[in-house]
Amino acid sequence: MTLPALLILALVIGYPIVRAVIISFYHYPLLNPQHNFIGADNYRRLVDDPVFWQSLQNTAIYTGVSVVGAMLMGLVLALATENLQGPWRFFRGVLLTPWAVPVIVVAFLFQFMFEDTGGITNDLLLRLHIIDSAIPWLSSSQWSLAAVIIANIWSQAPFFLLIFTAALGGVPVEVTEAARIDRASTWSMIALIKLPYLRSAAVVGALLMIIQNFNNFPLIWAMTEGGPAYSSTTLVIYVYRLAFTSFNLGYASAIGVVWLVLLLMISAAFIRVLRGKTS
Amino acid sequence: MSVTLTPAPPTETTVEAAPPRRKWPIGRSVVIVIVALFLVWTLWPIYWMVSTSLKPAKEATNLNPTIWPHTLTGANYRELFGSSLPFGNYLVNSIVTALISAVVAVVISTLAGYSFSRGGYKLNGTTSIVVLATQMLPLVVLIGPLYLLLLKAHLLNTYLGLVIGYTSFAIPFGAWMMKGFIDGIPREIEEAARVDGYSRLGILVRVVVPMSVPGLVTTAVFVFMNTWNNLLYPLTLVTSNTKQTLPPGLQQSFSGTFKTDYGGLMAASLITSLPLIIAFFLVQRSMVRGMTAGALAGT
Repeated sequence: MTLPALLILALVIGYPIVRAVIISFYHYPLLNPQHNFIGADNYRRLVDDPVFWQSLQNTAIYTGVSVVGAMLMGLVLALATENLQGPWRFFRGVLLTPWAVPVIVVAFLFQFMFEDTGGITNDLLLRLHIIDSAIPWLSSSQWSLAAVIIANIWSQAPFFLLIFTAALGGVPVEVTEAARIDRASTWSMIALIKLPYLRSAAVVGALLMIIQNFNNFPLIWAMTEGGPAYSSTTLVIYVYRLAFTSFNLGYASAIGVVWLVLLLMISAAFIRVLRGKTS
Repeated sequence: MSVTLTPAPPTETTVEAAPPRRKWPIGRSVVIVIVALFLVWTLWPIYWMVSTSLKPAKEATNLNPTIWPHTLTGANYRELFGSSLPFGNYLVNSIVTALISAVVAVVISTLAGYSFSRGGYKLNGTTSIVVLATQMLPLVVLIGPLYLLLLKAHLLNTYLGLVIGYTSFAIPFGAWMMKGFIDGIPREIEEAARVDGYSRLGILVRVVVPMSVPGLVTTAVFVFMNTWNNLLYPLTLVTSNTKQTLPPGLQQSFSGTFKTDYGGLMAASLITSLPLIIAFFLVQRSMVRGMTAGALAGT
């Protein structure tokens, strides 16, 4: 019964991935029948390619800040809304909404709100005298990545709220009762009793989100297309440009292979952390 | 190496159903302030989308934005379906491909999830790794070969081509989710059915499937959401404007002649969001369980 799934996976994932590894050793212009085997040249080129290193750095910042930010936010919210009663629970539902907003819409929306002039973000910040002059959110290399990250955190924090809420539901009542009888303070209650129960949810959630943010194409593409210059270009944007704007599939594939190796290493580390603790 | 990412303690995962507990003497006001702040942070962009979509063109792009719309109008919505912009096409294309993908992916994921679930411990470890690994694949790299594949098969610009792309990448995680749900069905029930002479497939169709309807729906919604969000595939696998889905369609339309028509863009965005928001809230509770079950629950 696994057969249909395996067949489709082999055809549509297995085949492209093997193809991608092979292509990475070729000079391979998309749509051009001339392909030359060039050994590891694509990989050598990558070492000296400043754009590659910048994209890698941007990917690390984008993924790291987004995941940590969204996770902290989700954690605070899960703890704050844990004991909401009755109709107040409705608010937790409201707080989850951004996760259901399509990523492309998040991109449009924040692009609009981050307009230099006439954008509501600058307008409000100016009116409240938090800033003196408009911030060029999306039109300057300094701010573009930050703007994209803010939009991303808005969109992903609810995921962590969901999984932390679920994990908090798993803290045995006897444990919290016992702690309460011992007159544990609120903070020690959270730090010593609840957080340990959230550990595996945090590890798994972070891993899923790291993987997802490596692949997060729509948000950045629709907001900045990776610009200005390469300031918000992450690996996924760079590879897309290489493959479909410069039609250099060989080099794009080489970067993809490096990327896969990177993610495998990160996952291995996470899984080790998770198993090390539980076994 | 087996990734039976074990034990979150046996979780009662329904978000709503925690037993009523007495409140902690945590500063009630602290909680209220935190929740209020985050409500503003969450709702402000959504409010801004809705209110902009109801403003006339001039007000929507005014350099001094009006926080409360001075004039309310439905013109932006009427124009989406009346102007040269093929918004109706995008919408239909998105709905059709997302629905078909959801159904196809759920059928295949159920078959796979069932065999993962009943396949014993060894298979579990391997499949967890394979599933996790498929999530890591740089889709943007695989899209090149996939493009060439569909080009040769003359499937570019077709629903079928898009559905093949969408489902194939939805199946691994879908199977993982279905496995989690099917794990919750006691085997004894199946044993009883086997004694009654049902075949393996018969048991799946008549016993397991009816019992895992919430799981099926959740997985379907998950695939639907992912498909609805997908920009990369249609952008590369569809070149004809009228065959395009919402994300690339809107991105391309509103970056050209309609560049500053934010009223229209926000109206289109709201319509694009509604199906997902509704679908999400229908299955919100079991969604968590589905997404984390494979990872957290182990066997």
